[in-house]
Amino acid sequence: MAVEMKLPPVLEIIRGNIVKHGNPLALKGSEISSWAKALNLPARGEMLFYTGGEYQLLPFIDSLVKTMTYVDQGSKGFSLMMGARNLLNKAGISAEKMYASVLAKDKDRYNAVSYKAAVILQKLGYDLCYGGEQELYSGALLYELGYWQDLQEYAPRVANVIKQSGAKTIVCLSPHAAEVFKFIYPKILGDFKYEVKTFVELVWEQRHKLPAASFNKPVVIHDSCRLARELNIEQELRDILSSVGAEIREPECKGKWTTCCGGPSKLLFPEVSHTIAGRRVAELEQTEAEVILTACPYCLSALEGAQEKGSQTGIEDLIEFLYRGVK
Amino acid sequence: MMKIDLQKEFNDYTQNLNKASKDQHINTAITRAVKAYRSTVAESLERFPHTPEMAAEVREIKTQAMANNSELLAQAMASVERNKGKAFYARDRQQALEIAAGIIGTGKTVVKGKSMLGEELHLREYLEEKGNEVWETDLGEFILQLKKDRPMHILSPAIHVPREQVAEIFSKFFNKDVPPEIAEEVGVVREFLREKYFSAHVGISGANVVAADTGAMVIIENEGNVRLASGAPPVHIVMVGIEKIVPTFQEAMKTAEVTWRYAQYGVPGYVNIVSGPSKTGDIEKVTTYGAHGPKEFYVIFVDNGRSEMAKDEKFSQALHCLRCGGCMYECPVFQVTAGHFGHTYLSGIGAVWTAFVSGGLEKAAPLVYTCLRCGRCMERCPMQINVPAMIGELRNRIVNGAAQGEEPLPQVAHS
Ligand code: SF4
Repeated sequence: MAVEMKLPPVLEIIRGNIVKHGNPLALKGSEISSWAKALNLPARGEMLFYTGGEYQLLPFIDSLVKTMTYVDQGSKGFSLMMGARNLLNKAGISAEKMYASVLAKDKDRYNAVSYKAAVILQKLGYDLCYGGEQELYSGALLYELGYWQDLQEYAPRVANVIKQSGAKTIVCLSPHAAEVFKFIYPKILGDFKYEVKTFVELVWEQRHKLPAASFNKPVVIHDSCRLARELNIEQELRDILSSVGAEIREPECKGKWTTCCGGPSKLLFPEVSHTIAGRRVAELEQTEAEVILTACPYCLSALEGAQEKGSQTGIEDLIEFLYRGVK
Repeated sequence: MMKIDLQKEFNDYTQNLNKASKDQHINTAITRAVKAYRSTVAESLERFPHTPEMAAEVREIKTQAMANNSELLAQAMASVERNKGKAFYARDRQQALEIAAGIIGTGKTVVKGKSMLGEELHLREYLEEKGNEVWETDLGEFILQLKKDRPMHILSPAIHVPREQVAEIFSKFFNKDVPPEIAEEVGVVREFLREKYFSAHVGISGANVVAADTGAMVIIENEGNVRLASGAPPVHIVMVGIEKIVPTFQEAMKTAEVTWRYAQYGVPGYVNIVSGPSKTGDIEKVTTYGAHGPKEFYVIFVDNGRSEMAKDEKFSQALHCLRCGGCMYECPVFQVTAGHFGHTYLSGIGAVWTAFVSGGLEKAAPLVYTCLRCGRCMERCPMQINVPAMIGELRNRIVNGAAQGEEPLPQVAHS
């Protein structure tokens, strides 16, 4: 029996955006690649620097969730997703309108993450190329949310853009992108034969070249689930931080036992997601470290969003932390 | 093509989930429970360091057992019959309930041990409808029976009810002042149920493991209620899922030990092994049934979607679940919502079970999308069940339909 189940519209919005606009939130290629202007990275090379637009879209996720809450102020939770359907049906998805409220300083901060990552890798001696406006989102969310048939059609488009770079290695900033490129793409596409690396791995390989951190207060690592459990990257983070002389505090749940930031359920269950993230922040803050470090865009966003107001503990991406020493 | 709009399903569920995540009772209770779980398990793993190795052995036992499930079922049924019990196979829920009701009849008093299968079948409600008086004898289940609530954890069903609330419920039910002191609360239930055990016509229990070679039902417990419920009444009915069968008695013991260790029992108070009716040959060596224990012994093996699940290679591993409950304590969603992240079966593994045995894909859908696919359950699980991969596959089936014979996408690592 063929049964079609109608899912909450927010999932349809995300799916539609990826398939139509090559990006979960329908951001423009020019916007996503604006961070790279000053660097003049070539379009072709051995090593492709891949952002997938993921850090760049962080400030807009909250905006999407907020907009939907605004549309239906009644009860939160799922009826707010009904609101999103109206949004989708009547006016189409007006990215401009929905995202108008995003603060310039937030945009700048997250755009800068990609910039900082590229600069760090260059300083460590890596030659990078970049797809610029052509770069497409990896489609990790299509995989995550069950849109596997869509992914089968979408992946070849992404692969085609990657192919044009002539690269042999793909460097992913997001572990989610690394995950699909590494495990899923080769199975969907016969000829996706790239070496897929995360930013963390590349830094780790050249960590002896890293300058000492200009920060001498204790830090705590929030291991991302994908990085620790799927990609087996946990010790590398500690090695990198030790090599720049940072004092590392460890939370009770770390490495393979890390606690999820709650990010994956942000779109469907924002309240529960927020509670989960808040608890994780509390676990990390118990170490009394000055800064919480993570190496995943969604962890960064989820943890920051749930931190109690007035907390003294900073939350940064590893990229931002390392850049302080490099610049 | 049939269309199902899941909006309302999602909507109600989400509101419930949000409410749970703000519930102070749940928060306090689960925080306490998680801490206790982690320290007890860590301590008993240290005390019995052979456990992880034994868990690996049990994984293999389970894999083989599921591959040969129909032979083992036949063998287990034959063993029960040979022991002078009666064995039944129930294809689905309706059949299981009808068989049970057929044995019990109407106007009877039934005492019941805790069983997730019972919840899956809505056994108590069904027997009550048939005009029987049914008592849950597990303390937690008893509280929920009075509270008209459903289990919030598979092992500690009333994990979300603090003592003050228990006192209130009991005071009302027993029509006397029960103080919010745990010992007193336990005491009144003990007194009340003691009478029931000995006046009951039928005792019903589940089983944690079944040994096919001997027909032995292995039931792990701490309270002693199963001992009484399965020993005092003249009739004992075991209702058990077909996935619980392993080939031999020795393998059943290993499976039981691994189960209780990860289920935070440390060392369980009681392990009941029941293979047939009570009997004696003390007078002239003539075997007579119903000496001190039940004269009649029935085992109902329930399928209800399990063999479908076993045939589906993406999901058969979920049948290895020992119901130790470990994964739930480690689940970040469960930690803030308890059993509200569930539908009879709870948390990620529960979403998988819901899809196959307890409501189908439609009921499972909200759960399937609640799972973070973070994978920590798998770190805890003694059977290393790849729940995140199964959740991915279920999402795919929800979105694209459960098209048969189509080559789906491969799973991400997690293996
Ligand atoms: S899935 Fe694993 S951890 Fe969870 S209850 Fe089953 S056996 Fe225990």
